[in-house]
Amino acid sequence: MAVAVLFAMVITLMMIGVPIAIALGLSSMAFLLIYSDGSLASVAQTLFAAFDGHYTLLAIPFFVLASSFMSTGGVARRIIRFAVACVGHLRGGLAIASVFACMMFAALSGSSPATVVAIGSIVIAGMREVGYTKEFAAGVICNAGTLGILIPPSIVMVVYAAATDVSVGRMFLAGVIPGLIAGLMLMIGIYVVAKWKDIPKQPFAGIREILASGRDAFWGLFLIIIILGGIYGGIFTPTEAAAVAAVYAFFIANFVYRDMGPLTVAGSEANIPLYRKPQALFTAWFHEDTRNTLFEAGKLTIMLMFIIANALILKHVLTEERIPQIITEAMLAAGLGPIMFLVVVNIILLLGGQFMEPSGLLIIVAPLVFPIAVELGIDPIHLGIIMVVNMEIGMITPPVGLNLFVTAGVARMSVYHVVKAAAPWVLIMFAFLILVTYVPIVSTYLPTLLMGPEIITR
Amino acid sequence: MDSDKRGPLDGLEEGFIALTLGLMTIITLANVVARYLFNSNILWALEATVFLFAWLVLVGASYGVKKTFHIGIDIVVNSLPAPARKGLTLLAGLACLTFAMLLLIGSWNYWWPFASSRSFYETNDLPVPFFLTWMGDVFNEGEAYEKLPRFIPYFVMPFAMALLTFRILEAIWRVAKDEQDLLIAGHEAEDLYEDADDAVHAQEGEIR
Repeated sequence: MAVAVLFAMVITLMMIGVPIAIALGLSSMAFLLIYSDGSLASVAQTLFAAFDGHYTLLAIPFFVLASSFMSTGGVARRIIRFAVACVGHLRGGLAIASVFACMMFAALSGSSPATVVAIGSIVIAGMREVGYTKEFAAGVICNAGTLGILIPPSIVMVVYAAATDVSVGRMFLAGVIPGLIAGLMLMIGIYVVAKWKDIPKQPFAGIREILASGRDAFWGLFLIIIILGGIYGGIFTPTEAAAVAAVYAFFIANFVYRDMGPLTVAGSEANIPLYRKPQALFTAWFHEDTRNTLFEAGKLTIMLMFIIANALILKHVLTEERIPQIITEAMLAAGLGPIMFLVVVNIILLLGGQFMEPSGLLIIVAPLVFPIAVELGIDPIHLGIIMVVNMEIGMITPPVGLNLFVTAGVARMSVYHVVKAAAPWVLIMFAFLILVTYVPIVSTYLPTLLMGPEIITR
Repeated sequence: MDSDKRGPLDGLEEGFIALTLGLMTIITLANVVARYLFNSNILWALEATVFLFAWLVLVGASYGVKKTFHIGIDIVVNSLPAPARKGLTLLAGLACLTFAMLLLIGSWNYWWPFASSRSFYETNDLPVPFFLTWMGDVFNEGEAYEKLPRFIPYFVMPFAMALLTFRILEAIWRVAKDEQDLLIAGHEAEDLYEDADDAVHAQEGEIR
């Protein structure tokens, strides 16, 4: 009962316009003071422990930073050129290429809105110029952008791993096959619609262009090899891999692509090669562009982590009150089987995903459903992927869908129109969710193959 | 919106955010380099990064209130007429203020023992920088600290919460004077729009 009051308070506070982070934190504190004998000092300690006690979360700022350098440093543009060269000649080719580009950028970045901005800000304008409708372009990008959290690296997976103590590396691997399938499903959907609506195709760019653009995009795409290879080769921890990725992205953006920093030339002229201005090796570190990128990534980190830290206070309250155990017993007593349980999890997450930021929601829901899943013999990695896919759908459905807002900004449409434009493609994501939920091998095959079977320690 | 105006402290806060994140990245990288190139470890790297992380987010949270970049749900308040919206936003401001003040009290209660009766508590690995060697005489009954005492990194708690309280008071004041509409960004996209603008202008026509 008291817990129902707690959640009612969270929702009420959010509805009247309190920031999500503060709504979570304040409700938890009120609960502790009224129903339990917790002290304010212990709340402060829990808040600090969000940083001090969860080393996994330390990967988040670095992944955010890497993705910021990738976005400002011209990586997205090169990936898109490569994607268009590869699949642009199919019917609906530019849209299919956009999905392909989103998949590649997702493999460099851990966030969905970042993927929408990086790819969408370029391809939506491009698609409109060759005769696609604005709605079609925006709907495709809004959905394909959600792959950012499914294809590794992924901030949401880092959060899930921190909340449930599964391995980040395993989660990342588990996202690869589902990510490819989701991308393919979207591409097939586009192809069918394009045939039906007779959408234009591009001339084939030629093998030479594929090779040239591929070589140009290679330096950016090599990042995924550093991240995944580094983690699975046992060279870095996921946190270190993220930091190395951030510094690598900095070097590529400043010294190889030179689209930011001291070697940039404004306008369409070629950028200055490094040997002409070797002092750039030194000045790039203090350059205005570097500072701004750090600052923008810092802002995003603050926003995300303040929500996560406060969600951890709420999680702390729930654990203290033994809520996960109570729910587990109730559900098992009701004779819930694995299939019904997964339906329930999907419904909870889909509803919650409408109103909450994904990372905060995961921190709260994961500890509630994790013990039941273990009891029912559901693989924690499989559960994690189900949760991530639910979060993807939450991002493209109103009222709180980050991707909707970002797409609205990038495409210059009202959020309402983006919701309508995205809706048909959301059906594909739903079909994909059902596939992922009931075919566990899609998620578990790759991690089991490369890292051995999961050992459940709890 | 008035919060777009740049105040005298903006540069300092932005610099702090950029510098902290930059330091975290460099220290973590340095530890990897040390491990593989020099076959050694920077013992204090992880702890330093963690503390910088806490400082970044906790101090940054108040900057977020100042610049209104914390996200929330705006669909309800935005569907209301202006006077009702203002009323609810002021109420929300009060809730935020309660949050910040409760945490300020909690942080102080948490931090103060580390600064007084338990000032002998040290961090695990952080060395004492040379300019702080005098601290043992003042805080530790004359006995020199082997490691940085805990009350220094922990100081971020009361400091950040005091700053947060102040920024929330300012925000409530702006709402009361009709200089600011809501306490939330509604979505995090506003400055992403500008980035997107630049990107579109820079690259228009290049991609076909």
